[in-house]
Amino acid sequence: MSGSGLRVRITIAVMVAALLPVGAFGLLLLASGSAGAVTLVLTALVVAALVGLAVGGLLVGGIVGPLRALEARLDRITAGERVEPLPQLPDDELGRLAERQEELAADLGRRNRQVARAVDAITAWAPADGAAVLLERAATDAREALGLIDARIVLGDPDAIEIEERVPGEPRPVSADLLSGRDMAGVLLGHAPATMRWEPADQDLLELFAASVAVALRDAELLARVEQQNARLVALDAEKDDFLRGISHNLQTPLARIRAYADQLAAEAEAAAAVAAAAVEAGADSGAGARTAGASGEPDRRPAIIAEQSERLSRMVRQLLTVSRLDSGVLRPVAEVFALGPRVRRAWEALGAGEVPFELVDEAGGWLALADPDQVDQVLWALLDNAVKYGGGAAVRVRVALDAAAGQVAVTVADEGPGISDADREQLFARYARGGRTEERDGTGLGLYVGRALARANGGELALEPPSPGSRTSARLGAGAGAAFTLALLAEAPTEG
Amino acid sequence: MMIGGGPAGQERPARLLLVDDDSNLLVLLAEQLRDDGYDVATARDGVEALRRLEGGWPDLAIIDMMMPRLDGLSLAREIKARADLPIIVLSAIDAADSKAELLDEVAEDYVTKPYHYPELRARINRVLRRLGDRLPGQRVVLGPALVLELHRRSATVNGVAVVLTPIESRLLYALAANLGQTVATETLLLRGWADTEDADPSYVWVSMRRLRTKVEVDPNHPRHLVTVRGVGYRLEVEPT
Repeated sequence: MSGSGLRVRITIAVMVAALLPVGAFGLLLLASGSAGAVTLVLTALVVAALVGLAVGGLLVGGIVGPLRALEARLDRITAGERVEPLPQLPDDELGRLAERQEELAADLGRRNRQVARAVDAITAWAPADGAAVLLERAATDAREALGLIDARIVLGDPDAIEIEERVPGEPRPVSADLLSGRDMAGVLLGHAPATMRWEPADQDLLELFAASVAVALRDAELLARVEQQNARLVALDAEKDDFLRGISHNLQTPLARIRAYADQLAAEAEAAAAVAAAAVEAGADSGAGARTAGASGEPDRRPAIIAEQSERLSRMVRQLLTVSRLDSGVLRPVAEVFALGPRVRRAWEALGAGEVPFELVDEAGGWLALADPDQVDQVLWALLDNAVKYGGGAAVRVRVALDAAAGQVAVTVADEGPGISDADREQLFARYARGGRTEERDGTGLGLYVGRALARANGGELALEPPSPGSRTSARLGAGAGAAFTLALLAEAPTEG
Repeated sequence: MMIGGGPAGQERPARLLLVDDDSNLLVLLAEQLRDDGYDVATARDGVEALRRLEGGWPDLAIIDMMMPRLDGLSLAREIKARADLPIIVLSAIDAADSKAELLDEVAEDYVTKPYHYPELRARINRVLRRLGDRLPGQRVVLGPALVLELHRRSATVNGVAVVLTPIESRLLYALAANLGQTVATETLLLRGWADTEDADPSYVWVSMRRLRTKVEVDPNHPRHLVTVRGVGYRLEVEPT
């Protein structure tokens, strides 16, 4: 109802009330035929209309003014503004309307404050605090935020939890289920003051709060479970590390013994060969030397072969350990500087493939690689070992090249084996991948996988060279097609600085 | 290897204590080392090693990592708690192992099993050579922006911890032991790469350049790690 509509209707009603008796009296007067009746009636009507207008105006002012003030106040309450209490109003309908509005504003303000406190409390809960702490905090927060006398949370099936009956005049028992999705976790129980009106909106807020408690509880339990699983995984990882360390120790210790004795025997064989050679030269019989050296005076190679093979076994054990560390993401490369060419040479010598022709072209220009030397050794060993295995006894060619602009040195190991098919190229660096060319060979199938991971961990790359036009086209697989792998590493110029 | 400082400056063989539960390896390695002129005592576990130490301190201890009763790491800690005796750990654990970090605290060097004897000997000699280098303390304060903590293989640059590699640590150790004096490139080469046959001065040059990027606030204008062209390098304390 608009203010002007009410104003017009009240004015019309008052005017009608004033004019009706005057009009009726005028009609009677006119019917009596008295002289001057017309003038009298008209005058009376004008006076009545004026009086009606004046009284209507007064009435309108008294009713519409306060109504408009209440309407404006309601607008401010709805907009969430804080409003001053109304002055004392008379004990009539308008007064009662204003009083009701006052109560509504107070209720709204209280609920707004409760919602704000509830939201503050809910956002402060952290799953990491754990379920026990959360339960205690949530009960306190419910009491403080919702203005309850007391509050507690009982976990379990809500149907099995006894809900208190309300006794008039006593604090009102209130409750809400802890509901998260379809799961009932328990019940939030408490007492509201007996003087507090417990409206549906209060119950709604309590239920919302209880649902938030249920969600927070579930988060805390999930987090606890995840943390428990993480701790278990860490423990398992440590156990695995210990296990591998133990295995490694148990394998490396006898290998160390074999290696040490073989080295000693090799040294003795060398000494004996020298004695034998001297004896041959002197034309005398060399009894001791003949046992460990050939008639030609050449040292017995067998101890050296034992040493090489024990070294080979040891490297395979280390390769397995590296795979385990790749899984754990703890490779920890320690970058030092070293020349790549001599490193390749030493790796080749350690491989003990003396019967295979080897060619090393070092074009690094003295640049030094920056990488973990032990890890690079592992990669080189795997590449050279592969080249020997698949080269079919043909020469293994290694070239160390410099890319000064990129700040890299790269070592390319090429064999003259049967080559690698396109299908195998894709899989070559995968774990345990051997490809068609490796089915009948020994080894772990981890060399290239570990090699690439180590190269990358050191800021470098290990790649299979694309088949070049000519001998290494994938269409021309077969003896001599060959394969070449390139290990690129960061490098620095050999200048004094 | 001979160590100076004996009676009337006479040199004496370096004394080594070898600790390993593998008696075969222990006897063999002890023989090899004795043949090379070292004075070697042996122990089969940590407890026996500690008993031997009561009878006199060697110049260097070589300790196996995994042993019964008292493991290598605990033994090394026990030894370091008593005196600053240099230790080489002989172990099946390689540098990438998580326990290798623990070794950094207590061991000057470690050699992985199976070892190559000439390499082990080179490392022993390198550590013994460093006995002549003595630092004034565990922390070397070179200025407000640089503190070296070489026993931990780390430096603090402008309040930020920087990890040093074993070789970088050795180079800085040699320089810090001769603070303010030029150390020849050849000497540094020997300190850093005694077990690397093909190392040449460029190893020192490049390593020093990299070290500057780690420990100098402005590597292009070094305040501590100074090059003496054609001669070597010098570590300087920043004047206050």
